[in-house]
This record gives sequence, structure tokens and C-alpha cells, in this order.
Amino acid sequence: MTATTSVIDRLRARIGVDGAPVTAPVEAGHVKRFAAAIGDPNPRWTKEAPPTFLVALAPVSLHLTEAEEYGQGWLNGGNRFEYFAPVLIGDEITATGRVADVYEKSGSSGDLLFIIFETNYVNQEGVVVAKLRGTMIRR
Amino acid sequence: MNIAAGQDIPELVKHPTTRQLVQYAGAQGDFYEIHYDQTYAKGVGLPGVILHGLLKAAFLGQLVTDWLGDRGTLKNFEVTYRGIDTPAHPYRCRGRVKRVDGTEVELEVWGENHEGQRTTLGTATVEIR
Repeated sequence: MTATTSVIDRLRARIGVDGAPVTAPVEAGHVKRFAAAIGDPNPRWTKEAPPTFLVALAPVSLHLTEAEEYGQGWLNGGNRFEYFAPVLIGDEITATGRVADVYEKSGSSGDLLFIIFETNYVNQEGVVVAKLRGTMIRR
Repeated sequence: MNIAAGQDIPELVKHPTTRQLVQYAGAQGDFYEIHYDQTYAKGVGLPGVILHGLLKAAFLGQLVTDWLGDRGTLKNFEVTYRGIDTPAHPYRCRGRVKRVDGTEVELEVWGENHEGQRTTLGTATVEIR
């Protein structure tokens, strides 16, 4: 238990600390490949990005090596997107992620570690276009 | 078309394959092995490769944007993954209008596996023009 407690303590120390920002262009070819991969033929995606495309611009979670000491794998628990402005082809988006919360829960198949990530997406004009909150689970 | 609480929105049935999982892994840049390596997936206690949660979110996103068309804007979209899904089975995306408050409309959306279990639950809020 000491080992997992210290993993949680080390992860909790990261709460609220921004990761390095990642800037990426919204490229027509990338959006086209993304739309093809999700199987969405809507012609609208030749001009703007589909709702979940932001996750393809930058990693949705910070790489937390220490979290991998807990359990044997990751599961995605959920995602919440808030949209404030459209994401258009040609935009340049800067994503900044942080750990928002870390906690442990006992589940029916053993203990689970929950890590809540938040990412803000800002376009080239400094406008916050979207926010994402994701729940990642180590089990 | 008038939008009223209780209305069903047209369903969307997706047919995910292992090929699509690889295609999605590449497009998103998520190369976690549980989505394309059967041996790895079984080694961490899964029945085999599973759908990316965010792929299921994208399916439900399409359900919403197909229904919405150019009538408004998506403001909020939230999904919770309640179960794992494996490829080679149809994935049925459904939803209904939960609440209409002026120009704001809230939808309840969900994804059902081939056994009728709701493995993804979601809410979308749209602003109608």
C-alpha cells in the first residue's frame, strides 16, 4: 500500500500545474483523415473541425510515468467538451493541459485510480475556443 | 421542424472494424496498444482490442451534428464510458430531446452495443439560431 500511496501523493503534487503548451495547426488533410476515421461524411468538415477533433491536435492527458506504477492499464472514464467558438481549418490552436484532480476509489474488481485532466484550447487570436475535461482511470 | 422535449432524434448505426480502430488511432495519434494489439489487450485483462472511448464520443458527436445541421451551435458535449466495446459488432447511437429552454436545447444521447446495453452515455447542449 505504501508504494501506491506514494504514487498518489506524487500525482497529487501535480494538481493545478500547467503542462507545456502544444501549438498545432488545424490542417485540412488532418481533419479529412479524422472525419474519414470516424466515418463522418458531413461536407461541413471541409471547413471546420468536427466536435471531438481537438483531441487529435495535442495529447488529451499529460504523460504521467508515475501513474503507470498503479494497476495494469488505462481506461477512459469520460470526456466533457465545452465550446466557445468554432475551430476552423487554418486555425492554429494552442492546447494547455493540467491535472485537475487525483483520487482513488474501490471498485467491484479492485481499487481504481482516477486522474482528471483539463485542457484549454486557444486559437491564434487568443480566443478560448474550447475546454476539455477528461477522466482517466488506472485499473 | 419544431423541437420539443421527448422527441427522439434519428439514430445512427456505426459498424466499427479493427481497421477503423487502426485508422482512428492514426488520426487521433492515440497509439495505446489495447486498440490494435490483440495479445497486448488480452494481457491486460480485456477480451481483445476495444474501441477508443473517444471514437464512441465521435460517433455520438456525429449523431448530434447530423440532427442539428445548420440550425444551431453545439455548446456542451459530455460523455461517460460505462462499458467496453469490441469491433465487428454494430454500435447504435441514439438520443432524445431532454429539455428545451428558449433557444437552448439539451439532448440525452447514448451508444448501445449489439446486446442493447448502453455503454456510452452523454449529454449535448445546443444553441438554436
